[in-house]
Amino acid sequence: MNFITITRWEFKNTIQSRKFLLIFFLQISVLFLMLMVFNSFAQNMENNEALSITPSLSGFATLDVNDQGALFSKRLNSEVLNIENSTYQQAWNRLARGLTTGFYSVPPESVELVQNGDQVETVLYLDYRDPKRSVVQEEVNSTTRALSSALTTSYLESSRPQNATKPPGVTQTTSGESVPLQIIRKVMLAVLLFLPLFLFGNLIIDSLVGEKERKTGEILVAMPLTSADIIIGKSLAVVMIMALQVGMWMLILLAAGFSLKNPGFVYLMVVLTAIPLVGLTTIIAAYSKNYKEAGIGLTFAYVIISGILIIPLLGYISRQSFGANVSPMTLVMRIFSGEIIAPAEILLSLSFIVVFSLLSYGISVALFRRDDVVFGPRPGILRIILDLMGLKRHKNRSK
Amino acid sequence: MINIDGLSKSFGSIKALDNLNLNVKKGELLGIIGPNGAGKTTAIRIICCILKPDHGDVMVDGYSIHKDPLKIKSIIGYLPEEPNLYERFKARDLLKYFSELYGVPRADINPRIDELLELVGMTHRAEDRINTFSKGLRQRIGIARALVHDPKVIIFDEPTMGLDPATSQTIRHFIDQLKGDKTIILCTHYMDEADQLCDRVAILNHGRIRDMGTPHDLKSKVHADIILTLRVKNPLPSDQEAISGLTSVEAIEIGGDKYIISLNSRKEISKIIDVLGSRVLAVNTKEPKLEDVFISTLENRGMR
Ligand SMILES: Nc1ncnc2c1ncn2[C@@H]1O[C@H](COP(=O)(O)OP(=O)(O)O)[C@@H](O)[C@H]1O
Ligand SMILES: [Mg+2]
Repeated sequence: MNFITITRWEFKNTIQSRKFLLIFFLQISVLFLMLMVFNSFAQNMENNEALSITPSLSGFATLDVNDQGALFSKRLNSEVLNIENSTYQQAWNRLARGLTTGFYSVPPESVELVQNGDQVETVLYLDYRDPKRSVVQEEVNSTTRALSSALTTSYLESSRPQNATKPPGVTQTTSGESVPLQIIRKVMLAVLLFLPLFLFGNLIIDSLVGEKERKTGEILVAMPLTSADIIIGKSLAVVMIMALQVGMWMLILLAAGFSLKNPGFVYLMVVLTAIPLVGLTTIIAAYSKNYKEAGIGLTFAYVIISGILIIPLLGYISRQSFGANVSPMTLVMRIFSGEIIAPAEILLSLSFIVVFSLLSYGISVALFRRDDVVFGPRPGILRIILDLMGLKRHKNRSK
Repeated sequence: MINIDGLSKSFGSIKALDNLNLNVKKGELLGIIGPNGAGKTTAIRIICCILKPDHGDVMVDGYSIHKDPLKIKSIIGYLPEEPNLYERFKARDLLKYFSELYGVPRADINPRIDELLELVGMTHRAEDRINTFSKGLRQRIGIARALVHDPKVIIFDEPTMGLDPATSQTIRHFIDQLKGDKTIILCTHYMDEADQLCDRVAILNHGRIRDMGTPHDLKSKVHADIILTLRVKNPLPSDQEAISGLTSVEAIEIGGDKYIISLNSRKEISKIIDVLGSRVLAVNTKEPKLEDVFISTLENRGMR
């Protein structure tokens, strides 16, 4: 239990340091700023003022649209598409005569549907003989994406429309959209909740690489402590600081009017996620000789971790697959949305956290235990990987 | 107390230790002297279980570095070559932190720290941060830190390097005070320091012990003579003959009023003075120093 001593002192010293307090409050104010930006963005969405960014292809193709609420037609890029307001029948005629590339049909009550938080079913018919159809499809896609926060394009397989009057060669594509704004809010909230975890990488770097740079580490490794005590002691202090920041951040989000159901559970999941994340940072810190190396490593690692967290979340929104619960971020989003979550889904997320934690701390300790890594001459990454694998093979054999 | 047995350690192609063997007795102060890069720090780090040797073993108080590194670490107090301390800590907090890491019982921590601050004369600076201290003051706190757990074995790696002579003398005084009930290893490349403090001295170079013994034994091994330098009023030509006739005189060199005489014993110094009588204006003797031993040892082995 020697690591508790390290954790206690590291935590106390960090909290008391003026530099840290400054960073702590700077982060909170940046997060505040993001909230404000997000809110005004959401407002724009509600006021139908969202922008769509597409290169200029002035009047490239023609699209017939039936959208009485003008929810979509307003946002279709008129730089690229000539929009013709048509009825169903007019559009078929024009399609048959090759005067238009497609027909986009939006239910007349679309605006109310969105306001009530219901789904809006839109249908896009495309003339598959016309090569411009892909541009039209892309434009419609990006418009619906702008509406649904670039996150919810779940296009169903094209299927032949039931309508018998359809001209030959015209195929139907359906897009089923979830309520865009709600989804943006949820994803945004999930990302914001996890954000503090990414802001404290420098703490663990400072705590481990700092010992090497400032040459204080020799005394520490001369203590009657195991490498695991040092690594875990220091990591735990950082996890605790993250927990503090996440807690404060949740209070701010609640105060800002975000609806967070099951806040205790959400908090627990986010803090648990901090453990493997700090573990991975610790690997980098244990191996790096100096801040510069550690900084580069950290950037790479964080890109990968954000991918691991966010991609399943996006996957879940479009497919609701079980596997997407591997990311604690998915689980957190579902928890604060008040969804009922199956134990197996929680187990999946937890086992991901446990496996990742064991692996990352295992590797960190194995690295930190090596005197060549700590004092040099430091072996290359490949050499280390081979050694670590050799070690594992050896252990297996001795079992 | 400490048995070093066949220790070898390489860093890449550099052989820092080459089959090193050494024994340190309980309560002894052993000096390890050697030029930069001799392998002193490497040897010490292995004893402190910070580095692992390629070959060989070290037993400290009956524990092996391979089997009981934590046990060994807890009975050694170590002052590293670069004893950098946590800058933001207050002196007292630093000592407290390390006391806790060493597992000193809670109740003993504060009295022990007070005692150590007293020993190194830092009681009045206890509440100041390390980053306000000069190099000498840091070294005092570094020594106190190495002693918080009342270790049986203390290892100092070049404790006076880069300090001014007065501060060095203070540090040496602390070390001298520890002599007796502690087993101490002192690495240094200052010969005077080794001569002044050590019971025995080992000369290390290129990862091997080149010579070993008490400072006195080592000095008597080099047949560097006692050099007597005299200034004489009215030098006489007959002086040369009279002095060189004495048995202990090996050579005499006269330049004007300056007589430089090599002696192999100090017994006949008074006889020489008698020959010259009241004409002697100044007398100066130079005896062999450990430094001469050191240099001659290295030279004999063609190591310089
Ligand atoms: N971590 C290291 N990496 C590479 N070479 C080292 C390392 N530590 C020591 N050496 C080399 O080993 C030799 C012995 O060094 P050291 O034990 O520090 O000598 P000393 O303390 O007597 O000056 C030197 O040649 C030094 O350059
Ligand atoms: Mg050294």
